[in-house]
Amino acid sequence: MSEAVALTEQTLHGLYRDHRNWLESWLHRRLGNRWDAADLSQDTFLRVLASPQVLEELREPRAYLLTVGKRLLVNFYKRRSLEHAYLEALASLPEALAPSAEQRWLLLETLQALDELLDGLAPQVRRAFLWSQLEGLGYAQIAGRLQVSERTVKRYMAQAYEHCLLAEL
Amino acid sequence: MNRANNPEARQLARTAAAWLALLDSGRASAEDLQRLDRWRAADPRHEQLWQRAEGLRQRFQTVPQALAMASLDRPQASRRSVLKRGLALAVLVPGGWLLSQQLPLAVWRADLRTAVGERRGVRLADGSVLQLNTATAVNVAMAEHRLTLIEGEIALSVSRAQAIEVDFGLGRVSTGQAQICLRRDADSCRISVLHGAVQVTPAQGMALALHYGDQLTLYADGSGSMGRFDPHMPDWRDGVLSVNNQPLGQFLREVARYRPGILRWAPGLESLKVTGTFQLNDTDRILELLAASLPVKVQARSRYWVTLVAQHDAA
Repeated sequence: MSEAVALTEQTLHGLYRDHRNWLESWLHRRLGNRWDAADLSQDTFLRVLASPQVLEELREPRAYLLTVGKRLLVNFYKRRSLEHAYLEALASLPEALAPSAEQRWLLLETLQALDELLDGLAPQVRRAFLWSQLEGLGYAQIAGRLQVSERTVKRYMAQAYEHCLLAEL
Repeated sequence: MNRANNPEARQLARTAAAWLALLDSGRASAEDLQRLDRWRAADPRHEQLWQRAEGLRQRFQTVPQALAMASLDRPQASRRSVLKRGLALAVLVPGGWLLSQQLPLAVWRADLRTAVGERRGVRLADGSVLQLNTATAVNVAMAEHRLTLIEGEIALSVSRAQAIEVDFGLGRVSTGQAQICLRRDADSCRISVLHGAVQVTPAQGMALALHYGDQLTLYADGSGSMGRFDPHMPDWRDGVLSVNNQPLGQFLREVARYRPGILRWAPGLESLKVTGTFQLNDTDRILELLAASLPVKVQARSRYWVTLVAQHDAA
């Protein structure tokens, strides 16, 4: 056991030494800034460390790092774009209706969790579900907005519920 | 996570999801609800999953609607475009999207807004009184003597000779020293004259004058219908919902406007008749009163998810 761990650490160390600069500059090109790139590259190596059994079988280290790095980049983008949309919406609320500073951050966290829950749903399905859950629209109204049949809306809703229930398991 | 790959867990989730989708359709029959109760009782795992589904719904019900909608329904750049074009480009999208008119942006940008269940009154710069009913958004441009009703319902009492013009999408109404009530729904708008006389100019069709007690409904297809109402009947401005022999379905659709969350009823209840004056600030109480006076029973799955069923059907 301890031998395997030692081996892992050693391998990770080598991986880090050989590929960190390369991964960071790949991320830098996509993120447009060095700080986020450094953070994400760090996160990538931490993820790799968390799954040592894969590391042992690593034949193509850069391909593997890129797979993990891409996933983190996409998640990072999602969080950023949610934050962005959220802040813009906040800015456009009349002051009297805007939540307090503390509530804002709690709310952002809640929304991020919901966003992750919905991640992976087809756009139409996601939208139908949000309209139903958040706006309380009936299926007929959703069907009208999406230009599909009510039957399809019901199918979308079932898909979305199934997705969320499974994501919470 | 790994349990999600378990075929049995998947099957259970699928069954629960089908139930949820049926309930949300509002078309579940009393029989369906009984079958659901049997399914829940059949196996502790079913009930456990059902509890989780309730929790899931509540998580969506407790976030503020406008903020949640703007954030969660933002345009999603595809995974591919993020990886290819990078974050800087991809993240610009929401800014551009916010300029578009098709989303309820106009609602959260509104000058005055009330939440579901909220009512408030304001005095405008010229001394006129504007009251906002539940879930209402209004833009105010007093320099131009103009209001825009974006959604919901208002009452406007103009005290000066200088008229105020209210735009309501399907047309506009010019109110001199008069009092009106204006309600804008998804595809119709209703103007009721409470005092004096006003001039209505529909977006399609000829301008017309309305007088005390007149009620004009305009529809998105350009049609309209003229009727009379009783301006002395107490209404939302008095904090009440007053009805006389109204079909229950119609009544509940009204109550639902004041109540966050989902309010549903078995289709068989639609035509039961309701008479009475109900306090709008306590819709839970309204439902209790209905249960006490009609053969219905209230099933609250949560505060935000309430179903009315026929009494003899209740489990």
